[in-house]
Amino acid sequence: MTLNVRTAAVRADGLSRRYGATRALDQVSLTLNRGITGLLGPNGAGKTTLLSILATVNEPDTGQVSVFGLDPRDAAERLEIRRRLGYLPQELGYHRHFTVAGFLDYVAILKEITDRRRRAEEVARVLAALGLERRARTRIRALSGGLRQRLGIAQALLGRPDLLILDEPTSGLDPEQRLRFRELLSDLPGDPVIVLSTHQADDIAAICPHVVVLLQGRVHFAGTPAELAATAAGRVWAAGARDARAHLSWRGGDSRWRHIGDNPPAGAELVALTVEDGYLLLSHAAGAR
Amino acid sequence: MMSSLPGQAGPPAGADGHAGEDLLAGYAAGTVDGVAVWSVEAHLTRCARCRAALSGHVDAERLAGNRSVLLVRAALPEGGWVRRLLCRCGVPDHLLRLIVATPSLRRSWLLSVAGVLAVVAGEAAAVTHGWLGTGGHMVPPGYLDPGVLAPFLLVAPLLVLAGVAAAFLPVFDPASRLAVAAPFSGVTLLLVRTVSALVAALVPVVAAAFVLPGPGWLPAALLLPSLALCAFALAAATVTDPRAAAVAAGALWALPVLLLAAAHVPLAIVQRNAQFACAAVLCASAVVLLLRHDRFDIGWTR
Repeated sequence: MTLNVRTAAVRADGLSRRYGATRALDQVSLTLNRGITGLLGPNGAGKTTLLSILATVNEPDTGQVSVFGLDPRDAAERLEIRRRLGYLPQELGYHRHFTVAGFLDYVAILKEITDRRRRAEEVARVLAALGLERRARTRIRALSGGLRQRLGIAQALLGRPDLLILDEPTSGLDPEQRLRFRELLSDLPGDPVIVLSTHQADDIAAICPHVVVLLQGRVHFAGTPAELAATAAGRVWAAGARDARAHLSWRGGDSRWRHIGDNPPAGAELVALTVEDGYLLLSHAAGAR
Repeated sequence: MMSSLPGQAGPPAGADGHAGEDLLAGYAAGTVDGVAVWSVEAHLTRCARCRAALSGHVDAERLAGNRSVLLVRAALPEGGWVRRLLCRCGVPDHLLRLIVATPSLRRSWLLSVAGVLAVVAGEAAAVTHGWLGTGGHMVPPGYLDPGVLAPFLLVAPLLVLAGVAAAFLPVFDPASRLAVAAPFSGVTLLLVRTVSALVAALVPVVAAAFVLPGPGWLPAALLLPSLALCAFALAAATVTDPRAAAVAAGALWALPVLLLAAAHVPLAIVQRNAQFACAAVLCASAVVLLLRHDRFDIGWTR
């Protein structure tokens, strides 16, 4: 990732974290600037652990984190980080008997918005931003998965955070809601630092100027989506039949086979690259090691 | 028609008897004083022309914002009489909202507590009054066999402990990760929930003790053990897993109660020596809590 370390808003150096015998993070170092950074990786790659550490919820076994120059190991500085943080955990639990507005009101209080009028204004603002105004009185237990996910995103936006950490925010959203979510993130005022994890390479390509690929607890790539796609240059080709030399092959909508591999046949028809191609090649290489 | 605005010291009324543009603008912006507001409102009810003129001064964005705020407030549950009572006692609105999320204040939980107490207290009362058999031996009606109080003595403080444990154990708070990542003080949140859970559990326990056919001092004698157990669980949670701490506190109470019941002196668990022991546990736990309260702000999710 081509970031200036001196101006980085968030910096992690040598983060490692174990859960029993499982190494969730292994010497992860990265820097995040203002704007949107996408964190791409399969299940178990360490994305959730990394985000929970950046959100001050979890502590690393080793390594350091700096958020806006603040050290989360210091109680006062950790509090200041939390004041500037919006966090959507991967598995956000809800008080199911709460109404949508009641839950947001509760989270607003946890974010120290204790003035009643200001709290109501903030809740109204995020309800409108996520299109949830008509659900304000609905109990959470009556919401669909997609609506709950929107509620989770809404609570993260309370208090206009400077650092927005979203763990798989688009899971459970239908295509139209995903587009609205992209629009919402792109329009957030104040140029906050946004880091979102996802399995969806097209989300990364659509809205993230920066992307970090995390595999088996390690950073395998940091750069722009175009640079990630370019790592697959010369290794993605199309053919009328399946090619056994490819690492991965699938038949596209045009009935032709798309292949990804290290050794395309001579004269192969190379095709336009996507972020997904670069990601799949990286994943395959990491799995082979 | 409005010929004048009595007491109006701010923006003047229009010369034709209608409200002037400045006055209407001030009224719409909320910057005119109370007397002028009343006068304008009294006039607006009779004058369509000024109502139409007023609409031109209304900030549509502000109006939409106010409408949204009203809708949000209307969507928030008002709570029952307990909430209104606490409000009148000066408890801040935001603290009451936090209390609502305490699992051990939910109706289902409180009904369960009441049900358990009704069973153990009812059994003791029934045996003492001769409504239930006593396993073969004859007990004259009205005679108090201390043994019949053992189930109540075992259960009552444990119910209080369970209520408090449910208030502070992350496993009972589905949104606990949000609370950890939020700036609101973890210790304050813990205290608010613990105190409310403590009160909610102690009230039915003490009430049940009053209706039991035991000694008159029994309700008061249950307070200190209940407090000591809860304080011990909280203090232990600063050094070990919170669930293990709650279980250890429960065992700390249950074992001596069972041993004393087996020795046919169950009331000894709430008599003088036991009260001293509970006071010592309470003080020691308070000291630990004071020294290690910051542990509630970090580390629970590791």
